[in-house]
Amino acid sequence: MLMGPWYILVELWNLLTPLTLLYVAVSTFIGIVIGMLPGLTATMGVALLTGLTFGFPPKQAILILICVYVGAIYGGSRSAILLNIPGTPANAATCLDGFPLAQKGEAGPAIGLATTSSFVGTVFGLLCLAFFTPLLGKIALEFQSWEFFWLAIFGIVVCGNLTAPTDPLKGWIAGFIGLLVSLVGQENIAAYPRFAFGSDQMRGGFALIPVLVGVYGIAEVLGVMRETVVPRVVIQIQKVLPRWQDLWQYRRTMLRSGVIGVIIGAIPGVGEDVAAWVSYDFAKRASKKPEEFGKGSREGLIAAETGNNACIGGAVIPVLSLAVPGSAPAAVLLAAMWLHGVRPGPLLMIEFPNYIWEVTAMFILASLAMLILGLSLVRTLVKILMVPRPILMPIVFVLCVIGSFAISVRIFDIWVMLAFGLLGYPMRKYNYPAAPLVLGVILGDMADVNFRRALIRTAGDVTPFFTRPISLVLVAITLFTILARAQWFRRMLVVGSSRVKASLSRG
Amino acid sequence: MAYEFRRQDFYTGVILCVLSLGVLVESWQMPRDLQGWPAYAGPGVVTGLLGLGLLLMGLALTIRSVRRAGAPLGISGGEARAYLGEVGTRRLGLMFGLSVLYCLLLGRGIPYWLTTGGYLVVVMFVFRAGPWWQILLISAGTTVAVVYVFNRIFAIPLP
Repeated sequence: MLMGPWYILVELWNLLTPLTLLYVAVSTFIGIVIGMLPGLTATMGVALLTGLTFGFPPKQAILILICVYVGAIYGGSRSAILLNIPGTPANAATCLDGFPLAQKGEAGPAIGLATTSSFVGTVFGLLCLAFFTPLLGKIALEFQSWEFFWLAIFGIVVCGNLTAPTDPLKGWIAGFIGLLVSLVGQENIAAYPRFAFGSDQMRGGFALIPVLVGVYGIAEVLGVMRETVVPRVVIQIQKVLPRWQDLWQYRRTMLRSGVIGVIIGAIPGVGEDVAAWVSYDFAKRASKKPEEFGKGSREGLIAAETGNNACIGGAVIPVLSLAVPGSAPAAVLLAAMWLHGVRPGPLLMIEFPNYIWEVTAMFILASLAMLILGLSLVRTLVKILMVPRPILMPIVFVLCVIGSFAISVRIFDIWVMLAFGLLGYPMRKYNYPAAPLVLGVILGDMADVNFRRALIRTAGDVTPFFTRPISLVLVAITLFTILARAQWFRRMLVVGSSRVKASLSRG
Repeated sequence: MAYEFRRQDFYTGVILCVLSLGVLVESWQMPRDLQGWPAYAGPGVVTGLLGLGLLLMGLALTIRSVRRAGAPLGISGGEARAYLGEVGTRRLGLMFGLSVLYCLLLGRGIPYWLTTGGYLVVVMFVFRAGPWWQILLISAGTTVAVVYVFNRIFAIPLP
């Protein structure tokens, strides 16, 4: 652990080749463009590039995906500031103060602040990634079948709860559908084809990338093409470099948002959008000028952008230590690692001890590229923002099709992608979050195999599911998350706490 | 207060109930003594539990939507016609129809560049993306780039 910084430097040095730097620059730029264009999200970008980089060597492919991920989460701030439309859901909170700043003629400083706070957030996140992944990895070594089963259920329940805060039932439904989708095809214990209905293609199950591209990409293409309103771009941009005093003045906001971003990132499936909103909310509560929030507050903009980018590092912590993604783009990153032969999880530190440092070094390069490109290519990026959607969306559709096809060279995958696009569109329209569905698709196999394996080990006895210490903690949190949404339970908690207070005051 | 998605929730709940009943029946029919494994480790155990969970959630969604105030659950012919007549619905239908057609043509012996180029030109023309020369140029450029990157550089066969 103490040698960590040295290992990171070594890995960074190994990555510093002209070709790698070119990949970093190009893929971060692509990420920024994807994030910036409303209708293209970070998840979709990483999923699309997974198909495109399938033929690359594993190291380069993962580096490219990390750069796209970092670039896209940052890039969304650009359209949030200039168009009042978040480029990705992670930048929705940025609109609240970014666009009012642009309307006041401060688009340049707003872009500069968003860029630097995104950079600070990413760096904070990757430091936490380097420090906490080995620790969590050690705890994860204690996990056995019982714990892995509950971890999958816990992930779905918490993710459903947080991504559908007004109606968690819809989040849980999406998660359960995802779990079921992942169980289509031959299972891993006796190779029995489930829900295949005699089809050879269905026996192979649904591949993750076509499902992801469908739910995120196709649903977005359809949603954008349905709209007829063309957004107006604020194009008056002057000085972009932020003032040092602005950054120093809001250092506590940055630190707080960074911590919030990392914690939320580490919770399975929740992601950058929730991190940005929670960071924004906390910043507003702690601010000396809360009345300025929503009217062009620099503090609000910094909080949202630090929070969502810090979440990236947080979301990769469970990917590497538990093979459980912390956000939807991290889910695709996990799938890409599997595709390229890397097996993240508790054994990663034993099988590939340097991998964490390698990923951290990749994140350092990505965040540096993001900072440089974000501060320098302002006018070029504004021009890209003005590309008409009817030109962009059919091209995106073609890339979605070829990206889904390229993984296994199966026409069936194209139809899977289209079917999940058709499912994803109404889901989005009627407030069903896509993240629990994606998490379900990732965790379904883990839940299935570990549940059955655990029962085999105990000859059908279910008590260890509720008596092993880590299992018990996971069950308690899962149950509390579900019950806390019920009014009768909340009422019971209020009554209980008031009784305790009364008895304490009497005593 | 009227709930915005009362009708949608009701139909989604009903669909989920039917789907989860199907999952339960299918799970029940899966073998329980496959390759000597005990019944509790059978392939239908987890799918059955998930089906049961989904059934309960589908029922909750349906009952909740019936109890809530909002739009009537029935859909009148006039409402359906108004929805189908909306510009947005027509644009959505057109985009989806053209995209399905494109996917149908893939892998049927027609050269990929022709199918993809044709799809791009047609969609951009239909949605009035710009002047004809610009559409032709962008479509041709995109098709050449995709074919070159995937087929020539990565040696991936094209559909």
